[in-house]
Amino acid sequence: MDKNVGIQIEGLSKRYGEGEAAVDALRDVNMSVAPGEVVGLVGPSGAGKSTLLKCLGAVIEPTRGRMTLGGEVIYDNGWKIADLRVLRRDRIGFIFQAPYLIPFLDATDNVALLPMLAGRPNGEARARALELLQALDVAHRAAADTSELSGGEQQRVSIARALVNRPPVILADEPTAPLDSDRALAVMRILNQMASQYQTAIIVVTHDEKIIPTFRRIYNIRDGRTFEEAGEGRALE
Amino acid sequence: MNIPKTLPRQVWFGLIAIALLLAFAWGIIRSGPLAPIQVTVTKVAKGDVASTLFGIGTVEARRAYLIGPTVAGRVRSVLVDVGDSVKAGQLLAEMDPVDLDARVTSADAATARAGSAVTTAQAQLDDAKSRQALAASEARRFVDLGRKGFVSQSVVDGKLQQQQSADAQISAAESALASARQDLARQDADRVGAKQQRRNIRLEAPTDGVVTSRDAEPGSTVVAGQAVLKFIDPASLWVKTRLDQSRSAGLRLGLPAQITLRSNALKPFAGKVVRIEPISDSVTEERIADVAFDRIPQGVSANEMADVTLLQSGVTGALIVPNASLRYRGAQVGVWLRADGQLRFVPVKTGAEGMDGKMQIVEGLKVGDELVVYSERDLKDDSRIKVVDSLAETAK
Amino acid sequence: MISLAGRDILHSWGKFVLTGLGLGLLIGVTFSMAGVYRGMVDDAEVLLSNSGADLWVVQQDTLGPYAESSSIPDDVYRDILGLPGVAQAANVTYLNMQVRKGDTDVRATVVGFEPGKPGEPRYLAAGRRITRSHYEAMADVMTRFHVGDRIRIRRHEYTVVGLTRRMVSSGGDPMVFIPLKDAQEAQFLKDNDAIVNGRTRIAANAALNRPGVPGMLDAINALQASNHNVNAVLVRVADGHSPEAVARDIRRWKHLQAFTREQMDEILIAKMIGAHSEQIGIFLVILAIVSAAMVAFIIYTMTLGKIREIAVLKLIGTRSRTIAGMILQQALGLGLIGFVVGKIAASLWAPFFPKYVLLETGDAVRGFAIVMTICAIASTLAIRAALKVDPATAIGG
Repeated sequence: MDKNVGIQIEGLSKRYGEGEAAVDALRDVNMSVAPGEVVGLVGPSGAGKSTLLKCLGAVIEPTRGRMTLGGEVIYDNGWKIADLRVLRRDRIGFIFQAPYLIPFLDATDNVALLPMLAGRPNGEARARALELLQALDVAHRAAADTSELSGGEQQRVSIARALVNRPPVILADEPTAPLDSDRALAVMRILNQMASQYQTAIIVVTHDEKIIPTFRRIYNIRDGRTFEEAGEGRALE
Repeated sequence: MNIPKTLPRQVWFGLIAIALLLAFAWGIIRSGPLAPIQVTVTKVAKGDVASTLFGIGTVEARRAYLIGPTVAGRVRSVLVDVGDSVKAGQLLAEMDPVDLDARVTSADAATARAGSAVTTAQAQLDDAKSRQALAASEARRFVDLGRKGFVSQSVVDGKLQQQQSADAQISAAESALASARQDLARQDADRVGAKQQRRNIRLEAPTDGVVTSRDAEPGSTVVAGQAVLKFIDPASLWVKTRLDQSRSAGLRLGLPAQITLRSNALKPFAGKVVRIEPISDSVTEERIADVAFDRIPQGVSANEMADVTLLQSGVTGALIVPNASLRYRGAQVGVWLRADGQLRFVPVKTGAEGMDGKMQIVEGLKVGDELVVYSERDLKDDSRIKVVDSLAETAK
Repeated sequence: MISLAGRDILHSWGKFVLTGLGLGLLIGVTFSMAGVYRGMVDDAEVLLSNSGADLWVVQQDTLGPYAESSSIPDDVYRDILGLPGVAQAANVTYLNMQVRKGDTDVRATVVGFEPGKPGEPRYLAAGRRITRSHYEAMADVMTRFHVGDRIRIRRHEYTVVGLTRRMVSSGGDPMVFIPLKDAQEAQFLKDNDAIVNGRTRIAANAALNRPGVPGMLDAINALQASNHNVNAVLVRVADGHSPEAVARDIRRWKHLQAFTREQMDEILIAKMIGAHSEQIGIFLVILAIVSAAMVAFIIYTMTLGKIREIAVLKLIGTRSRTIAGMILQQALGLGLIGFVVGKIAASLWAPFFPKYVLLETGDAVRGFAIVMTICAIASTLAIRAALKVDPATAIGG
């Protein structure tokens, strides 16, 4: 298999609880996202979007199924990776509903933290962070304290953080929820740019009507099952 | 590639941290056992030592008298009271004569009777003499007759015996006369004595003085030797002063004195030592000197307390140090010398000491030596010291 | 790798410093309490050292002269001087009493001493030594007297001519030194009413008040008013002789007890200070518990405020170890600030205590170790909470 083949999910199921009270959050989910592709994951709340993200993000253990990230089987009816933490650190990028920046670090260090955790020297980590901040057009706020950044700036810094370790996969959880239409589209633009630039496979969980039209492919999730759909694929400048 | 992003805040923090650490270090160095000992120093100089002796004393009268009767009796009258001035010979009190008058009369009568006894004895002697003359002449006649054979020898013996008997009677009468004369002398002496006693019930002042105590009122009975009145000669008031034996070197007669009465502390009086008691007090380890006033102050009372300072000639041009700088090492007295930044204990020999704390050094130091006077703690050979002007807590 | 703990502290330095100040004051109190205890022990040591004595001779069957009252005749010292190995023997008296200056009075221990002998202060802080045989005094600076002050002890007024430092009784009262005879009088002479009362009673006794013996009454009254007792004889042992051997000689006399320096140490520290040390020990334990609780609470609260960030950190791949280390470092940093503030505060306010406070370096080092240990232990509560955080919670919904 090609080393970086994005995301492959086969027959993923997650059951919470046992017996009578058991809840099947995911039933036999199948998904695939190619490198460089940005797909949307939509559905009503409670349908299982977060659960799917959590499984993909290796923070909860699925009940059964198979997950392949960046060409590496991480789960096959059991974790196949010894250190999930390292997996998360190096192979997955997270973008949250809120920026969730570390308040006591400035913009640069928030981003540089990840390479530093991976063992890279501080100078190199900061250089890489700056690169990404530049790419995301917030380099002029590199030294600013988190509290001094605007919402949009924080969002961009958090995207930079997700990208800094060049992970093959990015999981975005409602990244545009608090933003207005222009900003939301700007974020999507950036994501698409980064995806094609770094060949990252990105899943965007959203129910934001403003950005759904921009996806070429959408996975609809209902009652734990996914249905692939074609998206509008509206162009972003 | 150190981009100084948070430098300002870090600089602040760093400065505060340094300040805290410095304060911390100050805390350790300033207080606690690491700190150097604060001391003050002075230089040895030449000067004068005004040496004085000091003692406390009580004002006493050198001459004090107890006035009382020589036999037990009853006080009839007391004519003076405490505080009165009296003149020599003045009648102070009188005892009740009681039976003394009767005794004088009886003594007179006894003397008279003794005189009559003498006369009787004389007469008896005369009588004995005349009988002896007769017996003697008869004895002569009968001896003559006996020789001539006119009378028997026994008759002669009888007459001789009569003569002897008459002789003896004369002796007897003579001794009876002598005894009667002696008896007369005795009765006469008794009579003189009784008269003298009669005179003794008058208690008179032996000299001028002031009455200090009235111990018996008229009507009280007193025994022989008990005082009815006490009085003193106020011109003889002096201060009986006690000086510590160990601090009485140089005590001699004539030393000028300054007497400060407890009742009048502001105005000292001048005096001088007039007597040094030959017997010291071994229990209290004091010598006793009597210091007279040059002029007896008004209103001073006996038994009043006084502080007495005796002024000695002192020493001039001596090496002096403050006595606070003297330290003891065992029994050795010395000072802590500061030379070339080193501290050294130097034994010294001291001389005179002034009341102001100046101590003469006889041996061990020279002019200009710097020594430690006051210190925060006891010093040792390796103590680290810091010279200050005065120790912190002693400032007013 | 940057120091997460350091950055966090820098970011909310105000809160940290304020907390550190609070903790520091608490620690300062702890140091002061320990210092009070050390001060008491030092008072006792200084009392024994400054007397210049190797042996304390007191009344038999007493633990005097400091722990119990003791009374011996004042001519006993002559007999002691005659013993082999005795270099100096001096009478001393001790009496706790109020010393009056103007309108105020001060509680002090009045010491009667003989100049040049054990019992006299070995060094002065100001003024001069006593030169007159009566009515001069040297006082410790803690009496707040100054050179030249007139003070009143019982019937007499004394002039303060010198000041001493660190001359305190075992109870911490400052000492006032006066000539032995004056002290004997002050200690044993009764007040005027009692004396007059005594005189009347003796005068009423016909066997003593004989008219035919003038002066007898006065002699008896003088005897009643005189005093020939002291509290102890301080002995300096000659070089080359053992104090215990000399003490044994003295004890053979039926009515005397003699203590060596070691025995006096034991009496003063074990017996007199013993109860205090227990109290202070309990205080220290309580303060330690309070400090630990305070640190635990503060660190826990700070950690709880960061729960979301901790979840994010865990999610993006931070080791649990790193997070735990961050919390531990913060606790230790707090402890360090507290320790420094506490030591400085204790040094600053020590002179204002009425008793002597001795802050030993050894205590400071021990205190540092204990503070760090307590902070480390106190942080475990927060660390547990942090470790329990589920990184999945960062992904909402």
